[in-house]
Amino acid sequence: MTTPAKQMRLGLYLQANGLHVASWRMPGTYTDPENFRPYLAQTMAAEKAKFDMVFLADSPHCNPQGTLGLMVKTEPLTLLAALAVTTSHIGLAATVSTTYTEPYNIARILSSIDHLSGGRAAWNVVTGAQPGAAANFGRASHPPHDERYKIAEEYVEVIKGLWDSWEDDAFFVDREAGRFVDKNKMHRIDHKGTYFSVAGPLNCSRSPQGYPVLIQAGASEVGRAFAAAEAEVIFTVQQDHGLAKTFATEMREAVAKTGRNPAHFKIMPGVCPIVGSSEADAKAKLTELCSYADPAVALRVLSDRMGQDLTPFPLDAPVPELPPSGMMRGHAEALTNLARTRGMTLRELRDYASTSMGHRLLIGSPEQVADGLEEWFASGAADGFNIMPPWSPGALDDFVNEVVPILQKRGLFRTEYEGKTLRENLGIPRPPHPATLKAAAQ
Amino acid sequence: MPRQMNLALLLGNGVHVAGWRLPEAEYGPDSFDLMLRQTLIAEAAKFDMVFLADSLAAGKDAPPGILSRLEPLTLLTALAMRTTHIGLAATGSTTYSEPYNLARMFASLDHLSGGRAGWNIVTSSNREAAGNFSMAERPDAETRYEMAGEFVDICMGLWDSWEDGAFVKDKERGVPADLSKYHALDYVGRHHQVKGPLNMARPPQGHPVMIQAGSSATGMGFAGKYAEVVFTVQGDLEVTKAFGKKVRALAEAEGRDPSTLKILPGICPIIAENEQEARKMLARLASLADPVAAMQMLTQRMDMPELASMPLDSPIPELPPERMRGHAIAMTAVAKKYGFNLGQLRDYASASMGHRLIFGSPQQVADDLEEWFVSGAADGFILHPPFVPGPVEVFATEVVPILQKRGLFRRDYEGPTLRDHLGLARPTHPAAVTRTTA
Repeated sequence: MTTPAKQMRLGLYLQANGLHVASWRMPGTYTDPENFRPYLAQTMAAEKAKFDMVFLADSPHCNPQGTLGLMVKTEPLTLLAALAVTTSHIGLAATVSTTYTEPYNIARILSSIDHLSGGRAAWNVVTGAQPGAAANFGRASHPPHDERYKIAEEYVEVIKGLWDSWEDDAFFVDREAGRFVDKNKMHRIDHKGTYFSVAGPLNCSRSPQGYPVLIQAGASEVGRAFAAAEAEVIFTVQQDHGLAKTFATEMREAVAKTGRNPAHFKIMPGVCPIVGSSEADAKAKLTELCSYADPAVALRVLSDRMGQDLTPFPLDAPVPELPPSGMMRGHAEALTNLARTRGMTLRELRDYASTSMGHRLLIGSPEQVADGLEEWFASGAADGFNIMPPWSPGALDDFVNEVVPILQKRGLFRTEYEGKTLRENLGIPRPPHPATLKAAAQ
Repeated sequence: MPRQMNLALLLGNGVHVAGWRLPEAEYGPDSFDLMLRQTLIAEAAKFDMVFLADSLAAGKDAPPGILSRLEPLTLLTALAMRTTHIGLAATGSTTYSEPYNLARMFASLDHLSGGRAGWNIVTSSNREAAGNFSMAERPDAETRYEMAGEFVDICMGLWDSWEDGAFVKDKERGVPADLSKYHALDYVGRHHQVKGPLNMARPPQGHPVMIQAGSSATGMGFAGKYAEVVFTVQGDLEVTKAFGKKVRALAEAEGRDPSTLKILPGICPIIAENEQEARKMLARLASLADPVAAMQMLTQRMDMPELASMPLDSPIPELPPERMRGHAIAMTAVAKKYGFNLGQLRDYASASMGHRLIFGSPQQVADDLEEWFVSGAADGFILHPPFVPGPVEVFATEVVPILQKRGLFRRDYEGPTLRDHLGLARPTHPAAVTRTTA
């Protein structure tokens, strides 16, 4: 068992107007997800509070009956490039699907963001996306769940190979001799696999972090095995402290089993904070927020999370038993557990999910919210948290202004960045080039 | 207002294969700073746009700027943050990307830059690229252009998923969007099926500016149908005039207004105090070139790998008509005009990536540009600096003022968007067009 890190990691789940389905109706909330302003302002607030990173969820599709934030997005990779040159320290993470992109393109783009940001890029590897995405890529449906992970495994192997196309010191400038590259330090990958054949090399030098930080959020058995083998950060949906601890212990063991150091693997459950001057004040904010929700949209969000159309079921009866979901399995399981342990009706679960999208809701005074984070961090259930403000900028401002200083005072969170790169701040080493490893071993 | 020329800058490490070796040249294959400084020089000089060429493979013998570079769309978005007016254009391949992904990225660039995005639509003729994209072989030109047509139709359809003003964001009533202004795409083609809609509001420019650079018969047909700006490799004024006439006729046949098509031949200016000094600079550059890299530049441009194994004193072989495309046409014409053998053509091409070399004093360069512009052969030019940043600075501070004094180039930007600079109308949403005519 490893000792938990001394200080927690914090990520900001960056959405223009927040997580709640009706957040955009809350007074003072951003309503322009097509503009740069809401993303920049929140990222700057998170950087000022010394967050490790901002994180952009994504799905390459649009549900015209969805919420504002689900209909209109800014494309994550271009957005991160914009943030790279307007911030200086905060990590920049984006979701990219291994099912609907080409590894050569994504290897370049992520490497480029890592260069532009001076080593702050991270990639949340997802295999699917929302069910609607397949039809935007010439497919009737997603490939089956387990096959998607086989594709992802091969994809990650290819992309790492491409990132290692050039050793760190392959490029230099020797004007006299007319030399700028040591071709012995170029490595083609000549990959020929089941799903991809990619010759390489990549047309981009090795990036500041070697590889951008790899993040994963899968909760299925296959997803967890994949995370144990490849991920450096795992985002997870956890409602229950006991279950979260078990999950963390099992994941660290699984990581160790693959021969990796579990200290270099950060477990970050999602937390949706609502901070008030008192618990009653925080609860009043939640009530106001929920009053804006369209019940039909809220049920659709829950249906997506559960992988099942829930409209035929009675709202005031207990949550029905459902078959295992093929999509977003972690969400479906966490929500099913929550409903079961708390004996929730479908209506109650709908309202819970529409606020926090199924993540852990932490409501109360600044101390109470800080306590809720400290408890999980101290027990080892979490190495940090992915903070998901239900509306923005209000709920984010409350968190960074009121909660972060408490965490800092308790010594639980940094007051200055440790380094310039995301790896340095997370405490995850830069991967050496395989050729240098080989040379060192000889 | 009298007609004025449009100027674009090819952004990179300079086009001369060995330009980077000059002591006064800077070289930074993945340097944002170097790209930013060039862009700021161009913006101060009121250039219409900077442009990033691209390739999807790193050839072993490629010159430095091609072996390693930043990915164009992320680089342009970063540049958008540090600039206010200049257009930002990049090459995007219709053979090796997915229309939904690319449509999003260009729309995003347009939103983040406040309407300054341009897309150079390429089908990626580079033979090596296929090997990086799980394809056994590069699709033939005809197939590539067929794919490109579908790809572009899809992107335009995706950008039009939501009419302007569709997102009403009515907080009171809780209505985010006016669904009567939503248009599913449901595109079913031979190569692509895309349901849509795009998860974005219509871009500030409606559509990013569409650029095309193919000069083959198929490429010209494609330009006639889609392009608003045409980049072209041209060496001869009369040939260029004929080229323009042909592309405009093709546009007219597509029902478009041919005057909205901007033809921008590439130029590579070597500017010095006088012509003699400029020639010296050219000789200095040639003496630094690595013959292997120079030859690779030529063979890739012409898409004729067989040239690499021929003796340098051979004449340039005649190509069958189906292989006569873009650079192959231009280079064959140059060889014929100057009586170049293979070695001489290699040196010429390595200096300018095959684009037209203009050397002389600032006055001479301005005269040359004026001649091409006034004759109607060009609507403007895309500048290919032999190395950076010196020649960019010299052009901006010594040639541009002459052009401005002669009334040939703007002294200030006409508006905030790339379409404003180019004098191109913002495309009206098809549904709005239907409503007005109904």
